[in-house]
Amino acid sequence: MSATQRRLLALYPRDFRRDYEEELLAVLAAEGRPGPGQVFDLVRSALVVRLRRVPVPAGLRQSARVVQLFGALLLLALEGRRVVPLVPGHLDVVAPVDYVRLAGWSLVLVAVAKGWRLLGFTGAAIGLAGEIAAALRWYLDTPAMLLNAYWIIMTAAVVLVAGLLATRAGRPRGLLLVLSAGGLLILVTEIDWLLPYQLSPLLVLGRGDVEMLLSDMPAMSGVAVLMLVAAAGLVLVAAIRQEATVRRWLPAWAAPVLVTVPLIRSGFDGFMEYNSYHPEATRLIGPVQWAALVLVPMAAFLVVAMLSGRYERSRQAKLPRS
Amino acid sequence: MREPTFLVLTALAEEPRHGYAVIEDVSAMTGGRVRLRAGTLYAALDRLRSEGLIEVDREEIVQSRLRRYYRLSAAGERSLAAETARLREQAAIADGRLRARRTELGGAPA
Repeated sequence: MSATQRRLLALYPRDFRRDYEEELLAVLAAEGRPGPGQVFDLVRSALVVRLRRVPVPAGLRQSARVVQLFGALLLLALEGRRVVPLVPGHLDVVAPVDYVRLAGWSLVLVAVAKGWRLLGFTGAAIGLAGEIAAALRWYLDTPAMLLNAYWIIMTAAVVLVAGLLATRAGRPRGLLLVLSAGGLLILVTEIDWLLPYQLSPLLVLGRGDVEMLLSDMPAMSGVAVLMLVAAAGLVLVAAIRQEATVRRWLPAWAAPVLVTVPLIRSGFDGFMEYNSYHPEATRLIGPVQWAALVLVPMAAFLVVAMLSGRYERSRQAKLPRS
Repeated sequence: MREPTFLVLTALAEEPRHGYAVIEDVSAMTGGRVRLRAGTLYAALDRLRSEGLIEVDREEIVQSRLRRYYRLSAAGERSLAAETARLREQAAIADGRLRARRTELGGAPA
């Protein structure tokens, strides 16, 4: 047995190695020298075996599949708006990072359809890296750009984690509703000022140059607002239509994204105000603020998941035993 | 049920087999199209055991190496039967549609 094979077997959990190591070694010896295919297979399988040992409630796993699929679809629509043929003029301003994001979320959708966990992880990692890279482009000049896009980054992170926990079987309900919501998001691109980046200061911080927006507002913008509301409504209806066991866990996945609104509004308001009045001495996000940006959404997920789990257990305890 | 799982259960439906024998049987069944790798096989065996679809039949020491034989459990047999029925049903639908298509086109099957 080669040193490579020995190192790769160390990736597996201890109990798995205790049960199967000897047999696995015999089969590996029969397979011959380790090539890239064997290395990939051992790494992939070690990841699968480890993930299977994480104690995750079945409802959370099922809801993770819904979140992975719907999240990737909506992120794809959000990024796809930039490259749809409806607006050829926009193609001039499509940055390479936009194609990276598009590729990442497309890969996730393929992975969900095929039930390939590793491809799903790879796609989501590419998509998340693209979202972060896109927001970081202007970070040094305008750190607020990153905060405005933070809910998108968090959504991408949620899709990545959901993909690791998701079951591979079953088609979630309400797929057509979410596809329609994605379609609406793409159509909204007809009006530039309504891009989510530009809306974010208004939604997240509760302020923005509304007068300027209104004066520049094209005739269709009222329709676009309705389209955005309709898209949100469609996603909500799709969530409500899920089975009760899945639906109960969806708030846990939504929590990290939703908590970014009060987090940025309460923790970064002064920071953004200072920067807007002092362009000559822009402040960057500090280490404590970075920690809050990462830890608060994680805590929100854990708290809501814990509450959902407690509710689920109390419900099961009340069910009559057959 | 994914194809590797279906094939592993099918391999064990005939008789108890050890890991390498499962790989060989799956390869023979599929005409070499599917050749399971060691990592994939043992991850699948671990899962099928935890789901109660297969169980350990016996262990032997061959050339100072452990050789563990796995067999299909009753639950595994039911699961394989259900999947086989589902695949048969789908194949029948596909077959029927292909026949109808040939009839509509007025040609005999090649």
